[in-house]
Amino acid sequence: MPQFFLNKRLIVLLVSIIVLVALIGFSLRERSKLSWPEQFLKDTAGLVQSLVSKPAHLVAGFFENLQDLQNTYEENKELKSRMEKLVSLEAQVQELEKDNKELRDILGEQDTLRDFEPLQATVIGRNPDRWHEMIIINKGKTNGIKKNMAVVTAHGLIGKVKTVNQFSSTVQLLSAMDPKNRISAIVQGETNVNGLVEGYDKEKKALLIKAIPSGVEIKKGQNVITSGLGGVFPQGLQIGKVIDVKPDQYGLNQTALVKPGADFYDLENIIVITRTMTQPTQAEMGTGEEEDL
Amino acid sequence: MKKFLLPLLFLFLFLLESMFAQYAPPEVFGDNYILAPRFLFGGLLFLAIYTGRKYGIIYAAIFGLLFDIVWIEIIGIYLFLFPFITYLISKIMHVLQTNIIVAFLVSLVGIALLELGVYEMDFLIHITTLEFISFIKMRFYPTLILNAVYLLIAAYPLKRYFESVAQGLRDE
Repeated sequence: MPQFFLNKRLIVLLVSIIVLVALIGFSLRERSKLSWPEQFLKDTAGLVQSLVSKPAHLVAGFFENLQDLQNTYEENKELKSRMEKLVSLEAQVQELEKDNKELRDILGEQDTLRDFEPLQATVIGRNPDRWHEMIIINKGKTNGIKKNMAVVTAHGLIGKVKTVNQFSSTVQLLSAMDPKNRISAIVQGETNVNGLVEGYDKEKKALLIKAIPSGVEIKKGQNVITSGLGGVFPQGLQIGKVIDVKPDQYGLNQTALVKPGADFYDLENIIVITRTMTQPTQAEMGTGEEEDL
Repeated sequence: MKKFLLPLLFLFLFLLESMFAQYAPPEVFGDNYILAPRFLFGGLLFLAIYTGRKYGIIYAAIFGLLFDIVWIEIIGIYLFLFPFITYLISKIMHVLQTNIIVAFLVSLVGIALLELGVYEMDFLIHITTLEFISFIKMRFYPTLILNAVYLLIAAYPLKRYFESVAQGLRDE
């Protein structure tokens, strides 16, 4: 027995395991923001990253351009055919927007859940370990970014702001497994269906929308957007398209598999979305520990 | 100037991993595989093998902490695994002969241990729900192949450089 305790290496190992558990517990608990040494380190790293990422962007862009050149002709043909549709669509949209504005004026309701202000940012780093899907962007608190803001690309929602530092912030992608990461969504159809985006199926590369009542019929190809009911995201951000529907474990609800519209790889320029409509205060929302976005 | 070269090299590897993750097009490797670059850890293991255990473990701890804070935001996983596996590997190297092929193979074993360790830890704290079989197929083998290619390219320059560092330390 004394032999056992005299073994210095074993004691070091045991102590380091205790410290490990304590540290993991410390960082896993609900933190509204990082401690200042972490923020300082992340900002310093962000500075170096943004220096390095500029030439890297250039080089990567050059190779992308080369690839684009290869199929320019075919793309051009397809784009031209789409252009014609676009012109008529644009006229329609303008008409509808005008209509909408007039009707709103009559009603006297100016603000909607739909209103937001975009803020452009550049990706300066990505978590290489690939378990925790996160990217780092070059805008922070000084640029007006706050925790939990929605992050989109031109093709749709990609994630939310997880932590904010002074000059950089971390974005958690939708493909990350995080039980706290729930987004209130609408499956668009003849009648809109509400659901919650909860989790990501890594093998099928699809988001899971759970808690859809089992009576509702959902077809493949239906569009999914954010509902804005969670209180943080605005309404109408594109999430993706339904690719499959299956009943859940107990047959009471359905789960829809949604293929995200945005590509989670090859991210370069992203847009952080600020909802203009006021959020309900924490007191009004009750003291639920988990947050729906 | 020479003193700063070693931290700078590791800082470069640290950033290189992120750049690889950001720019490596998923189409090239197939959509169904996840390749995790472990360039930094490969370098750390070579440092431990060729420059000495003490140096290797100190660097592993510092860069593990940096990795945790900057990328993961959960402090502890890499801060523990980097030095621990570095220590194990340097123990194994005591028994084996130090030549470049052995160093290459042992480093690959170290990277495999790291992948398994990180998977188990993430599974425990519910970061992932991936099953073990899927993990092996989707992530483990492709990652090992990627890092084997990296080590093949980097092994010789790393060995030369770390040996010269060790020489410098002995001369002091």
